[in-house]
Amino acid sequence: MSGLAAGIRLAEEGAAVVVSANGAGSLQLAPGTIDLLGYASGLVADPIHEITMLAERDPGHPYAQIGAENVAAAARWLSARIADGPLSPYRYVGKAEENMLLPTALGVPRPSSLVPETMAAGDLRSASRIAVVGFRGMKDFHPSLIADNLTRASGDGVAARSLQIDPPTDLSREPGTLNLARMLDRPGTAAAVAARLAPVVHEGELIALPAVLSTADPHGAWETLQRLTGCPVCEIPTLPPSVPGLRLFNTLRTLLAQAGGRLITGARVVGVRGGPEHVDLVRVQVSGGERSYGCRWVVLATGGVASGGLELDSNWQMRETALGLHVAGLPEPGAPRFSSRYLDAHPIGRAGIAVDRDLRPLDQDGRRRWENVLVAGAALAGAEPWREKSGEGIALSSGYRAAELILEADRHVAGTPAASTVAETVA
Amino acid sequence: MQTAKAVTRLEADVLVIGGGATGAGVAWDASLRGYQTILVDRSDLSQGTSGRFHGLLHSGGRYVVKDPQAATECIVENRILRNVAAATIEDTGGLFVTTPADDFSYGDDFLRACADTGVPVSELTTAEALSREPLLNPAIRRAFAVPDAAIDSWKLSRALERGITEHGGRLLTYHEVIAVRRDGDAVTGAVLRDKRTGEEIDVEAGFTINASGAWAGQVSALAGIEDVTIVPGRGIMIAMNHRLVNTVVNRCTMPADGDIIVPIRTVSVIGTTDVHARDPDDLDIAQHEVDQMLDAGEQLVPGLRTARALRVWAGVRPLFRDISRAHVLLDHHERDGVTRFITITGGKLTTFRLMAQEAVDAMCRQLGATKPCRTREETLPGSERGEYYELSARLNTLEQHKNGDPASDALVCECEMIPRHRLEQAMRDRPTANLDDIRRALRLGMGPCQGGFCIYRAAGILHEVGHLDGATANDALVDFLEERWKGTWPILYGDQLRQARLDDWIYQGLLDVEHLPDRTAP
Repeated sequence: MSGLAAGIRLAEEGAAVVVSANGAGSLQLAPGTIDLLGYASGLVADPIHEITMLAERDPGHPYAQIGAENVAAAARWLSARIADGPLSPYRYVGKAEENMLLPTALGVPRPSSLVPETMAAGDLRSASRIAVVGFRGMKDFHPSLIADNLTRASGDGVAARSLQIDPPTDLSREPGTLNLARMLDRPGTAAAVAARLAPVVHEGELIALPAVLSTADPHGAWETLQRLTGCPVCEIPTLPPSVPGLRLFNTLRTLLAQAGGRLITGARVVGVRGGPEHVDLVRVQVSGGERSYGCRWVVLATGGVASGGLELDSNWQMRETALGLHVAGLPEPGAPRFSSRYLDAHPIGRAGIAVDRDLRPLDQDGRRRWENVLVAGAALAGAEPWREKSGEGIALSSGYRAAELILEADRHVAGTPAASTVAETVA
Repeated sequence: MQTAKAVTRLEADVLVIGGGATGAGVAWDASLRGYQTILVDRSDLSQGTSGRFHGLLHSGGRYVVKDPQAATECIVENRILRNVAAATIEDTGGLFVTTPADDFSYGDDFLRACADTGVPVSELTTAEALSREPLLNPAIRRAFAVPDAAIDSWKLSRALERGITEHGGRLLTYHEVIAVRRDGDAVTGAVLRDKRTGEEIDVEAGFTINASGAWAGQVSALAGIEDVTIVPGRGIMIAMNHRLVNTVVNRCTMPADGDIIVPIRTVSVIGTTDVHARDPDDLDIAQHEVDQMLDAGEQLVPGLRTARALRVWAGVRPLFRDISRAHVLLDHHERDGVTRFITITGGKLTTFRLMAQEAVDAMCRQLGATKPCRTREETLPGSERGEYYELSARLNTLEQHKNGDPASDALVCECEMIPRHRLEQAMRDRPTANLDDIRRALRLGMGPCQGGFCIYRAAGILHEVGHLDGATANDALVDFLEERWKGTWPILYGDQLRQARLDDWIYQGLLDVEHLPDRTAP
C-alpha cells in the first residue's frame, strides 16, 4: 500500500517512477478496508481527532511524524482515485472523521474508516436484523459463530441468525474465496445466488455474505444481489486470500500504470550507491540478473516483519533488509522483548525505522542517515498497527506524505517535478 | 447457598493415581492380571512429564558408561516395546557422534561399555554417518550406530487407554485426588473431584498405586506420608520445524545438556537442560536456557540457528532425593507402616513397562497373590500387525479415507493433514472433550503454522455442530492463542517471527479476537 500510494501520487504529478517489489505486498492478506485508527485508549469514534491527540501524547508514533491533516488528505485522495479507478462504479465510502463498526469473520464489531461500498451496509451502529449466510463447504467462514457473537456483542440490540446456501460452483472443487469470487465475475452467477437467497431471507433483513462478491465487477454483483433479494447486502472480509484486498491491489496497480509509473516484481534490493548523504543508484536482483536504477529519490516501503522488510535473528538483533537502516525501538539485551500474554502489547512490536517530520530515516544518534531516502509503511517504528487497527492508515498516509514531500522539495529546487524515484515494496 | 453435594461411590481392586506412561502402564499391567482397575489423572492422559519429553526410545547408549544398569534396562525394554507397541514407534535408529569438542577416546569407553551392557553398537566411518545425515557437523571425528528410536507418547497413551478399557478398566481423566482414604494403617482408596463438574467421587480400592511422577510427593502427603521428596528436574526442549535429521543424534560424551536431537513426526527436537525447580508445575522458560540449547544444537547441526524454531516447552523429571534418574519403588508398608499403598516414580519413558511391572509385582506380594505379568508379550491395541509407524502413513490414511464429499474431505489443518470428517469423528468419540483435548488427540495446529488457520476453523466447526456454545468457542480460541504463545515467544525470531506477525495481522487485525464479546477468560 505505502509503495503503490507513493508511486501513484508521484507519477500523477509527472515524476518518473519505478516501483520495485519483491512480491505482491500484504494487501491480499488484509481485509481491504482503510482502517485509520480503531483503538487508542478505547474504541475510537473520530479517527482524525484521535490521531491529533495521539500525535501530541506519543511523539514516537508514525502518525506524529505524518500529521493528522495529511492522514485526512490521503484518505480523501485515495477515495477519489478509487472512485474513478478501473472497478468504477465500485468505490469506497466513509469518512476519515468517523469510524463505522463492521463485523469481522468472528462476529466482532471492528472499527473501520473507509470501506468498500459492498461492506458498508454491515455497519453495526445501524443494523438490527442480520442473516449471516455462508456457502456450504467453504471452510474459512463460520456463519453460526459469527451470528452468535454479533448478537451477544450488541447486547441483543442486534438479532443475528445464520444460514448456509449451496455455492454457485462445482462442488468437486473446494469452494475457496477466490474460486467463488471468480464465479461471481460471470454474469448470471449473482442472479443465481440471489435466487438461492430469496426463499430463505426475511424482508428487510441485512444479508451478510463472505467477501467473495467478484473481483472484476463487485459493484454489479452487489447491486444485483440487493435488487433481486430486496434486502441490503454486505460482505464480511475473510481469512486470506482476501478478495477485497486483491481488488484494492489490482486497482492500485492499474492506477500506477495509468499514471505512467512502472512496477517491477520479483526484485530484491542488493545494494545502493551514493554518499555521503544522497543515494543515486539502487541495484536490484531480478530473475534475469542484476539491474540498476539511477534515481534522485528513494522511498523505502518494504514493510515490517510480516513482509520481510525487517528481520530478527536468533541472537535477537533486528535489521532492515533492503538498505540496512538503523532499527530503533529494540529492547536492550536482557530486557523483555515480548509480554508473556499474547493479547498484551509487546515491546519489540514497535521496533522499526525511526523518522523525522520529513520521513527521513534517523540513525542511532537521531541524525538523518540519508537526505533523499524517505521511509513509509509498516517499516516505521512506534506502533503496533494490528492492535490499534491502523495498518492501512499508516501505510496510505505515509506513502502519500512521502510523495508530497518529494514533490514539494523538487518544486523548490528545480521548478519542475521531474524526479526519478524508486519505491521498493517487499511482500 | 450450598447445595448438597452428590457423591458417587465407586469400587475397584486397584486405584492408580497418575495417567502418564507409568500410571497407564500400571493400569494396563494390573488389568491384564485380572484386577479391576481405575486410573485417575487431574488432566488428560500424558499431560505431565510423559507429554513433555523429547520422544526418545533409548537404546541405552546414553547410559552405558555412567549408569550401566540403566543402560541394560533400556535395551531390554527397547526390544520389548518394539515387539508389543510397534505402531507407536518410528524406527529411526540412532547415532552417537564425537564432535571436535568431545574427547576422542571416550568412543572406546563407549564401545566397551556397550558390549558390557548388551547395547548393540557398530562404529561407522564419518563418511557413512554424513552420508546418512547430511546436515551433521562435517567435523565429526567418530560415529556409532545404535538402536535408538522415536516413540510417540500420545499414541502410546491412547493405545494403553484402549487396552485398559478393553480389559475392563476405567479411566477418570480431569479428576483430581483431593483426599486419600485411610483406615488405620491401610490406604483404602481416594476421594476425587471432577474438575469439570465439581462432582465428588469416593473410590474404595483394595490397593492404591501412586504413579503421579513429579507430583508423587504431594499425593503421598495426602496419604499421611510426608517425607517422599521429589525434586522437579526441569528441562526445556525446542522443536525445530522440520526434520533436520532422520536419525536420533547423540553426542558421544558423558551425558550433558542439549546433547540429543530426536526426529519425531514432522519435527526434530533438541534437548535438554536440567534445572532443579521448586514446583513441578513451574514450567517457565529462561532465555539463557534457550540460547544454551541453540548453541548446543549448533555443535551437532551447524546452521541450526537459521532453521525455524517452532515451539519451546519445559518438562519436569521426577528426581527422587536428587540422585540419578533411575526409577524408584517405595513400598510404604516396609518404609512407613502404611499398607496397600506403593509409590513408583522416577525413571524414563523407555522403562515405563518395567516400572509398571515392578509396581504390580510389589502389589501382588503384599496381597499374597501370584499373578504373572503379561505385558512383555501382550501386544497393545493398534500394534497387532507389528509394523512401525512411518511418516508417510499420514498421506496414505488421508487418501484411503476420502469419502468423496468435498466438504467433509476438506482439510481443516493442512500442516497435519486433518480432514473435517476426522474432526467430527473425534467429537463423536469424545463428546465431553473440549477443543484442547481434540486438538491434542488430532495434533491440530501442531505443525509449522502452529494453528494459524486451523484453530479458527476448528472452533467454527465445533460451534456449528453444536459441540461448543459461543462463549466456550470464543474462550477456546483465545485460550489456544495464549497457550500457543507460551511455547513460542521465547524462540520467536527469523521466519517464525514472520509467521507469528502474519498471524497477528489475521487474528488481531482482521478478526479482532481481542474484542470478542463476554469472554469469561480475562
